Amino acid sequence: MASDLLTIATSGVRAARVALDVTAHNIANAGTSGYVRRSVQLSELASAGSFGRIGDLSFSGVRVVGMARNADAFRQSEVRRTSADAARAGTELTAYQNVEAALEQSGLFPAMTGFEESLQRLAADPVDPSLRTAALEQARTLTRTFNLADQGLSTVRDGLQFAATDGTEQVNRLAGELARTNLQLARSAPGTADHVLLLDQRDGLLGQISGYADIKTTFAADETVSVRIGGAALVAGGAADPLAMATAADGTITFTLGGGPVALSAGTLAGQAQGLVLVRENQAMLDGIAASLVSAANSAQAGGVALDGAPGQPLFAGSTAADIAVVLTSGAGLATAPSGAPAGSRDPANLAVLRDALVAANVSGQIDGLLFQVASATQGRRTTSEALEAIAGAARLALDAQAGVNLDEEAVNLVRFQQAFQASGKAIQVAADLFDTLLAIR
Amino acid sequence: MTSVSTSAFYERFNLDQTALRSRAEALQAAIGSGNRLGRSSDDPVASSRLRSLGRADAFAAVDQTLSARASSDLMLTDSALQSFADSVIRVQELATQAANGVLTPAQRAGIATEIEQISGELVRLANTRDSAGHALFGGDTPGDAYVLDAGGNAVYIGTASASDLPLGDGQSVTRGLTGPEFLNFGATNLFALVKGLAAELAGAAADPAQAARDALGALDTGLETITTQQTVIGTRLNWIDLTTERRTQMGELRADEQADVGGTDLAEAVSKLQQTMTVLEASQASFARLSSLSLFDFLR
Repeated sequence: MASDLLTIATSGVRAARVALDVTAHNIANAGTSGYVRRSVQLSELASAGSFGRIGDLSFSGVRVVGMARNADAFRQSEVRRTSADAARAGTELTAYQNVEAALEQSGLFPAMTGFEESLQRLAADPVDPSLRTAALEQARTLTRTFNLADQGLSTVRDGLQFAATDGTEQVNRLAGELARTNLQLARSAPGTADHVLLLDQRDGLLGQISGYADIKTTFAADETVSVRIGGAALVAGGAADPLAMATAADGTITFTLGGGPVALSAGTLAGQAQGLVLVRENQAMLDGIAASLVSAANSAQAGGVALDGAPGQPLFAGSTAADIAVVLTSGAGLATAPSGAPAGSRDPANLAVLRDALVAANVSGQIDGLLFQVASATQGRRTTSEALEAIAGAARLALDAQAGVNLDEEAVNLVRFQQAFQASGKAIQVAADLFDTLLAIR
Repeated sequence: MTSVSTSAFYERFNLDQTALRSRAEALQAAIGSGNRLGRSSDDPVASSRLRSLGRADAFAAVDQTLSARASSDLMLTDSALQSFADSVIRVQELATQAANGVLTPAQRAGIATEIEQISGELVRLANTRDSAGHALFGGDTPGDAYVLDAGGNAVYIGTASASDLPLGDGQSVTRGLTGPEFLNFGATNLFALVKGLAAELAGAAADPAQAARDALGALDTGLETITTQQTVIGTRLNWIDLTTERRTQMGELRADEQADVGGTDLAEAVSKLQQTMTVLEASQASFARLSSLSLFDFLR
């Protein structure tokens, strides 16, 4: 007889010990993020009958084949894809909200209304020095709010560029680690605890990279992974190509990988690139509004005469939101009277021209349009971001539900393997009893 | 087998709680501030509407000031016109007395002195100041409306017309009268007439009584011109009242719309908050029950 009860029982005890260890390990890591539940793979150990002993029973117990990781590759890739989309939408939304805040909190619209209001008030008595000074100071406030809005947009741009630079560095660091993990994976034996740990690490790194950029992954037979962004390889085996970021003069960013340009469509880097385009567009629109204000006000000024009867001088200088400024030195310089009027004239004809010019240039309408455009775009982005966030959350939950640790299940396993351990122990006792029985024969 | 991992259970609870809490906080902020909108992107159309309503409010406030200014200037004009009318009536009385042929030259000289005085008053009256300290009848000129030339004749130095004050919504009102508009009639003006009459009664005319009789007709025309302009001023004041009333109504409409578009409906917000809080409490209670269920409690 080839079977050995003692050996069989010992293998059972050993298998139950390993299963208990794995269960305890699972319980210990129930809260570890990215931890995938392990289970022990057991297989029966038996041999066919040998020559001359066909049909003989030959049991050798149980063997621990290895450790399995209950990770579903599809769900993992879904988590990567959806969280990259959500990260892009979230970053883009933040950029939109910051631009919205920069434009809205600068108080551009109220300042423009205040300026027009002060001009209207001046119509009551165009020669009143305090009303003139008030109008000039409102004009100054308006130019400063333009400056402020422009600075706000620049701050948003700087923040996005800083974050994108950092993101690029992070991607390269993570790609380097992933390449090292690939090397180790190729060297470790499948089914070992070490191998499983490396797989967890590999998946964790992939998850982190996909937060920054949309990646395509290909898994080799030895569980190593190659990562591509666009068409270029970021990680291939043990080698990583650096992702590089270039900043254009207008503040927008582009990426190159392996010498060629890559277009990112998801991940925070893509969101930052989109945010920078938004900042550029809004700065251009703000500059346009500032320029139309300057030309409307200055040409109206040129058509009238100041309080001293001299031809009106320009009210504003500059042509962009960043450099617009008031150049009149005193309120007396406001050309309220029409050309040809004597010094000190109360005729408000040119003041009406100035107000009409501001209305015709539709400065406040343009500001309102700018705010409305950003606000409605932000609203749309928020809906998108919430939807993508919900999808990513669902994908994460689906993966968690499948790959995470269920404590109730582990409690059951604990009892099950404890009982298996006790039963195998009993088998050892039976084997000893049998042996004793044989020895006791006289 | 559908297994739910423990961490997924906690994660899901966490997501639900975050969503509920943020909804409750948004409602609380709306109730606390009285504004439905925290930022433009909450409702871009409503925000744009609120901006234009706020702008209209700001302009309406200025229009209010301007129409008060126009109103007070026109009142001043009206009372000055009344003084002019009174003076003209007094001159008429005196001219009627002087037209009487039985008066002695000395008596006529006395009347002439009084008319001379009135003539001076008329010039001072014509240089009355408005609420901002400018000439009331000088049009757009900042100083006096009339000056006396070397011969003692009043000469108009103001502008040809008075400017308009905007009253909002594209409406405007002419802020006053220029001197010539109510002091010139026919080929002459009131100053020349009164001054001439005084000189004639003082002895410049061969037949002072006849001169006084001749002046009476011209004085009638002058008085008529002044009272006509008083009617004009009254009409303008009415117009200002009308626009003010309209502005008040528009302001009420705007306030209504602001409350509709941007205000919080308290009853609705409070009941929604109550609902959210009920759900929040229920979900917390059920979580507490579920999370305390562990198989490990039963393993001894």
